[in-house]
Amino acid sequence: MTSIFMIAWIYLRIGLMFVGGGYVLIPLLNHIMVEQYRWLTLRQFLDGLALSQLTPGPLAMLATFTGFRAGGFPGALVATICIFIPCVVLMLIVGRNYDRLKKIDIISSTLDGLLPAVVGLVAAAAWNLGVSSLSGLKEFLVLAIGFAVFKWTKISPMIVILGAGLVGLLLN
Amino acid sequence: MDKSPHKVSLTEIFLTFATIGLTGFGGGMAIVALVERISVREKKWISSEEFMHGLAFGQILGPFSLNVCTFTGHHLRGIRGGIIAAIGFILPSFLLVSFLSWVYFTYNKLPQLQAALKGTNPVIIGLIVVVAIDMGRKQIKGVGGALMALAALSASVLFKLNAAWILLGAALWSLCSSYFRRRFN
Repeated sequence: MTSIFMIAWIYLRIGLMFVGGGYVLIPLLNHIMVEQYRWLTLRQFLDGLALSQLTPGPLAMLATFTGFRAGGFPGALVATICIFIPCVVLMLIVGRNYDRLKKIDIISSTLDGLLPAVVGLVAAAAWNLGVSSLSGLKEFLVLAIGFAVFKWTKISPMIVILGAGLVGLLLN
Repeated sequence: MDKSPHKVSLTEIFLTFATIGLTGFGGGMAIVALVERISVREKKWISSEEFMHGLAFGQILGPFSLNVCTFTGHHLRGIRGGIIAAIGFILPSFLLVSFLSWVYFTYNKLPQLQAALKGTNPVIIGLIVVVAIDMGRKQIKGVGGALMALAALSASVLFKLNAAWILLGAALWSLCSSYFRRRFN
C-alpha cells in the first residue's frame, strides 16, 4: 500500500497538469501509473479507462480506479478529491471574477462574440459521439425519437436517458 | 451574486447536481446538455449567455462537465455553492467507479455495462443536438456568427483540434473584431 500522502501529492500534481483538456490525461496517467510507479499493468490501465468512461463523470474518474488500486477505498477517495481540486479552484476563481470582468466592455463583447464557437463545439460533440456510436437503423431511430422528445415535450431528460439505458440493457 | 428572487438552498443544489451526476451517462457534452436543460431552461437559475460563458471558460480549463457544474453552483451560492455542486456531480460516479474497481480487482472481471450505454448514446446525441439548436438560435446572429460556428465545428470534427485552442482562437478573433468596430465607428 502506498501512503495516502503520496497518493494525494501525485494526484494533485496530475490535476494541475491536465488543465487544458481531458485527453492529456490518458498518456499522463499511463506514464505515471504504469511506467513510473507500476501500480497497474497496461491491460488493467485500459480496462480502468473503459470502466471510468461508463460513468457520467469526466475521464479523470480514472483517478478513482487507479487510486483504488494504489490504496484501496481511502486511496480512491483521496485521489479523486486531489485530481479535481485544481480545476474546481480555478473555476471558482473564474466565477468570483466573472461578474466584475463582465462589466468591462471589451471583455463582455469578446465573450459574447465567441459564443457561436461554443455552439459549434457542442454540435461537434454530437457529431463525434454519432460517428462512434450510430451504426444501424435502430440507433438512428432511437436518435430521432430522443430528438423529438427533447424538442417538443417537457419530459425530464434524466428520465428519458434512464429509460433508454434500461431498454438498451434488455435488448442487447 | 443574488440576482435571483429567492436564494436556492445548498441542499437543492446538491440534489440537482447529484441527480445529473447519476443519470448523465455519456459524460462530457451530455452533462453540459443536461445542466443546460435543467439550470437554464427548467429552473432558470442562470441565463443562457452566462451559462455559455461558463462553458467556454470550462472548456479552456480542463474537465468542462465538472466545470460547468462548479460555475453554475458558484453563480447561485458563491464558493460554497460551487463546491457543493462539484461534489454532488462527482459523488455518484465516484461511488460507481469505486464499486466497479472493487469488483474488477477482486474478481478480475470487467462488468458488462456497455449494453446499457448502447441504448443511451443515441438518445444523448439527440439531447445534445437539441441543446445545440437552442443555443444556436439564441447566439448565432448574422453571417459572421454562423461562419464562426461552422469553423469551430469543422476545426473540431475534421482537424481534431483541441477545444481550448479553438476557443482561444475564437476569443482572439472576437477581441480584434470588437476592438476594430469600436475604433472605426
